[in-house]
Amino acid sequence: MKFKPPLNVAKQADVEAMGFTFTPEGQRPAKALKKMAEMREKMRSLMVMLETCTKCGNCAKQCHSYLGTEDFYNFPAARAELFRRVYKRYFTWSGKIFGRFVGAEDLNEETLAKWITYFYQCNECRRCARYCPFGIDTAEITIIARHILTEIGLVPKFMQGVGVNLIKTGNNMMIPKAAMIDSAEFMEDEIREETGVDVKISIDKPNSDVLYIPSSADFFSNIDTTIGAAKMFHALGVNWTIPSRVLEAGNFGLLFNFRIMQEHNGRLKAAAQELGASLVLQGECGHGWRAARMYTNGLSGPTPFRLRHILEYCDEHLGELPLKKLPMRVTLHDPCNYVRAGGIVEQPRRILRACVEEFVELTPNREDTFCCGGGSGVLMDEMYDIRMKLGWMKAEQVRAVGDIDYLAMPCSICKAQLPPVMKHYGLVNFEMGGVMDIVGKALVLKKKETGEQGVISKQNSVQLER
Amino acid sequence: MGYLNVKGNQVEVDEDGFMVDPELWNVDIVEIFAKLEGVEALTENHWKVINYLRDYFKQFGIAPMIRKLCKETGFTLKEIYALFPSGPAKGACKLAGLPKPTGCV
Amino acid sequence: MLFFIGQILPYIAAAVFLIGIGWRITKWLRVPVPFELTLYHTTKSNWGRVPAIGREFVLFDSLRRGDKRLWLWAWLLHVSLAMIIVGHIVGIYFLTHQFTIIGLSEEASSRMSAWIGSICGAVFFAALIVLFYRRTAIPEVKQLSDPADYFDLGLLLAIVITGMHMRLTSHVVDLPAVRAYLGGLFTLHPIPIPQDWIFISHFTLVNILLIYFPFSKLIHMAGFFVNRAMITQLPPVYPSPRGVSRTITFTKEAANHEI
Repeated sequence: MKFKPPLNVAKQADVEAMGFTFTPEGQRPAKALKKMAEMREKMRSLMVMLETCTKCGNCAKQCHSYLGTEDFYNFPAARAELFRRVYKRYFTWSGKIFGRFVGAEDLNEETLAKWITYFYQCNECRRCARYCPFGIDTAEITIIARHILTEIGLVPKFMQGVGVNLIKTGNNMMIPKAAMIDSAEFMEDEIREETGVDVKISIDKPNSDVLYIPSSADFFSNIDTTIGAAKMFHALGVNWTIPSRVLEAGNFGLLFNFRIMQEHNGRLKAAAQELGASLVLQGECGHGWRAARMYTNGLSGPTPFRLRHILEYCDEHLGELPLKKLPMRVTLHDPCNYVRAGGIVEQPRRILRACVEEFVELTPNREDTFCCGGGSGVLMDEMYDIRMKLGWMKAEQVRAVGDIDYLAMPCSICKAQLPPVMKHYGLVNFEMGGVMDIVGKALVLKKKETGEQGVISKQNSVQLER
Repeated sequence: MGYLNVKGNQVEVDEDGFMVDPELWNVDIVEIFAKLEGVEALTENHWKVINYLRDYFKQFGIAPMIRKLCKETGFTLKEIYALFPSGPAKGACKLAGLPKPTGCV
Repeated sequence: MLFFIGQILPYIAAAVFLIGIGWRITKWLRVPVPFELTLYHTTKSNWGRVPAIGREFVLFDSLRRGDKRLWLWAWLLHVSLAMIIVGHIVGIYFLTHQFTIIGLSEEASSRMSAWIGSICGAVFFAALIVLFYRRTAIPEVKQLSDPADYFDLGLLLAIVITGMHMRLTSHVVDLPAVRAYLGGLFTLHPIPIPQDWIFISHFTLVNILLIYFPFSKLIHMAGFFVNRAMITQLPPVYPSPRGVSRTITFTKEAANHEI
């Protein structure tokens, strides 16, 4: 029986619309093997991680994907086995000679169907690597497998849609510049209505010192995050702008193809140079942060600007912000790409503690936290049931923490995934949003006319090096 | 991908049921979409949202921010969900013939 | 036949083992790491990685964080194996009199050597049995395993059984003869292997293991270090005027898009 992936796979026309070649069925295994050979020469992680696994199985009980779906292939080592078995067969002596004895298997269309099914049920959260005695990172294998699948034209429709938008406009939602300006003006109106203060949100302002790169969803559904960031910049008197050519921190290329990732990453550099910024701040976007921080060197070469995250920046300047603590009980969902090798572990906690009266931790937290279930772009509508299962561990964590007023989740994919997950598991008595949203709500902005003593007079003397 | 039969014309929709060519939108399609989306009857309120979406899309080529949609039409987000069970992005935009908002939404 | 097993096979085994592992590691290290893979770093310098990796190497922290029973038996297996290897080298070279340096008599030293060896052998044996059982009893691990996984454990069990036979039964091993024979191999002046069938089986099984080693998952011995070195790399710092020494491009044909 032919194995059927639970997601919509892009058709030929779609694949070609993205600038990729479509490979007809039957020719795919051969092409995939060629790509595997290529990747093997390009990335050390592939060989080492595939060859070092001793099948101890420690990763099983630590993966939210396996625990939620109870599907054998979602067990990290088993997921990697889908790749490893083929790798052994064609690239190792023991596999070529001993075949099934060492678990080597041929690559055929059935295997490719399993690949696209299971590599898109890995959230690339890297929790397994924390519990693996060797530190084998199943996310690396997933990323490379997805890259190979895309190169042979096997890509989910969802990814293809985002890919095309990203290539055409530099953001996932295909927001054109005119709409960005209109949205920015709307947000300025909202802020004015709420606080009476004129906070400017500029797009493509030349000679800016700081470039803020939000996630495009922050211009559509999560506007409180953008508003919060804008208020903070205003309070600190920063000369900042948002670039229209790269209104997307979230480099979806990381999630399915290195070529697209490289292209989008290049936009970042071009935008910073064009607008003259010396500091680029990534907004609340998990994968965007990982792609920018870990991949910019390799993808785009020398990088002349400083690259930080908005939460790092906010944390550094926390003392200068006039904050009034909100009477809320807040907990934090640590996005995977922040705590597992993102370096943003304590900052959101410090920020939240300064902005709300009561902050409680989920258990486990920090590097051991569970993924929201939407990681690596698993946001397809047709996979709704699977997504709810992937989010099960997170829902249990939130349930265990008791009554809360707000769940802070500083990542756009989490903001898209967790509301339906929480609703599905009956956890409805709280608000959800980003960390900058809370900062925005807690900030006390003084009107210019009232001749403030406080923050706004510091307008032009803020030293960015601090 | 499939086709919807709209008064004798075949209109192409994608895997999620959204129109492939927004130019082909007309009133008849809205009724068909409404049935598929579980909207029993199209009231004035429905049309207010749909028309606003169409105008914004014509002007800017994209769906408006959700909060702006709420403000300009005078409905709360809850009310919009009551009108369009799948919500503003996946429900109202579909009926208004807009392409599906993609990415982290 | 005995000539081949005693004087040719050991050299083949040693060569395949050393060259095999060296070749595998070289193959890995030749491929670049284009993007920093840091999983978690807690150190400020590259050398700071050494204690972090060392700690994981000695204590198996990641396993302990997960499944405590697996940690116990995997750890005991590796620790007893290490003790056995050291014990063989020291015990055979000093003819079990190694503890005379701490003031014991030759008799007492032999007895101590025997005790420690037997305990380590027993622990190693028990750990292998537990891990073998685990591999059949836990459903997901069973489904994941290949015949090769069982073979590895089986081979090690055969080695430890033949070894323990020499230790625990009334079978008396001519230790000076063994020492002379092994010395001959190391000094490249091989002499005929002692005609002790248990010893011959034990030694031959070890040689088979050495030949099999570089082609199996036992390479995790080297993989541990190479992988951990990669994932404890320092994360990049921006601005980075040099970038990495080569920019990676993924295909020759660049997608023709306007940026």
